[in-house]
Amino acid sequence: MDDKIKQGGLIFMKVGLHAQESIEDIVERKQREFEETGSIFWGYGGNTCHPLTMVQPFAKEVEKSGNQILIVMQKMNSKHAAPPEIAKEYSDDGVDWQPIPKGIEVRGSRYALVLDKLRVEEFDLDLGELQVGIGPSRGRKADQYLVGQADKGCFLYTPQDLPVAQVEQPLKRIGLVANVKAPYAVFLKN
Amino acid sequence: MEFDLRKAINAISDVVQNRPIPLREFDQIYMKVADMVIQAEYVARVFDNKNVVFVGDGDGIALSAAHLKAQRVINYGPQSITLLDFDERIVNSVRRFGEKLSPHIKISSHLYNVADALPSEHFGAYDGFHINPPWGASNDGESVIAFFERGSQATKEKSLGIVVIADDPDLQWTQGVLRDTQRRALELGYVVAEMLPQLHLYHLDDAPDLRSCSCLFRRIDPGCMQPISEPLKSARLENFYGKSSPLRFRYVRERTTLNTDRESDLLYTLEKLEVGNG
Repeated sequence: MDDKIKQGGLIFMKVGLHAQESIEDIVERKQREFEETGSIFWGYGGNTCHPLTMVQPFAKEVEKSGNQILIVMQKMNSKHAAPPEIAKEYSDDGVDWQPIPKGIEVRGSRYALVLDKLRVEEFDLDLGELQVGIGPSRGRKADQYLVGQADKGCFLYTPQDLPVAQVEQPLKRIGLVANVKAPYAVFLKN
Repeated sequence: MEFDLRKAINAISDVVQNRPIPLREFDQIYMKVADMVIQAEYVARVFDNKNVVFVGDGDGIALSAAHLKAQRVINYGPQSITLLDFDERIVNSVRRFGEKLSPHIKISSHLYNVADALPSEHFGAYDGFHINPPWGASNDGESVIAFFERGSQATKEKSLGIVVIADDPDLQWTQGVLRDTQRRALELGYVVAEMLPQLHLYHLDDAPDLRSCSCLFRRIDPGCMQPISEPLKSARLENFYGKSSPLRFRYVRERTTLNTDRESDLLYTLEKLEVGNG
């Protein structure tokens, strides 16, 4: 785990087939989005990374300390196939809505993280060295948090009290990385 | 305590059916039904024959306690219940359901946000209060303390208060909030009269094992009562839902619909069955 990850805030997410589109197709489409608009809207759902109550306050606190927010994604096969409804408007507070910028397309998601360039980077992430950084599970170790219904979350690096044998480290293979930038996460509607 | 469990769960089921969908952005996270039965019976017992104010109640514990009494599942319960909540959907749903219980128990509900000073008609008006506020995971319990103060201001000299907050010995923040809440309660003249630890579970997808306790406070020193109720200062609003997560909205307003208590007709369409006449 490099220093940028250790000092910053991490949003961990599993990604796979989504809205009837393969992950490779999504990455290619999102790279084009960044080249055209300078931003990527990365769609997602669920309550564990709610824009207002989780991602935005978490990101603001990390940036206040002079560090960055990174999203690290584990690629996986997913049966998830939400209807490919295309979002037409977005909002960073759920009250004031604006049209999705031309060149950006998000399908089948209630929320989106706002990213800059997406990078294909492969490395092992040790969940035993991460703790939940916000919300009701704040302080719980990431490997314990991610065994239940939660498949994503906001984490901070916290070194283990005692060294852990490599075979016992709860590792996740990361395949995609991006910086998350203000307003960090937004609501979507069609 | 003895009561018919099936009748109790069916009574609570009526209340659950009446609740609006919770809004997670405001920490509206609903308690699981079996735990609602336990909490509602406890509330009915503690507040038997008393006039009680609930400062916020998305769960529907107020109606549950009232309905258990009205359905004669138990033969005790509050004399009257007043709900103060910032969500008009909850205020209206309690009002609608409460009308049906009116022969047995007086129920009223009013739109109110804890950021505002308590309206004078509620100041010092009740025998007891109940709160299950945002639990303050990242704000040292600031939201819990704000709700506690409003509950305290709404009650008379000899008041009781039930506080439902997170309680998990493995999560340090929950223990810190418990300590800070009790510290503030002591300053306001209360003692902890009873503590039911790790009692309830919630429909909380990212913390399904997180429990709350039910802490009963009794005021023993009326000299510590706050003489007036004032709006919360802006510094207290800034981290109300957690660090960098301010209280931004005064009310959740209900959109009027002809479809009250039914699935929104925006969420489905009907497809006709074509019947051939040949």
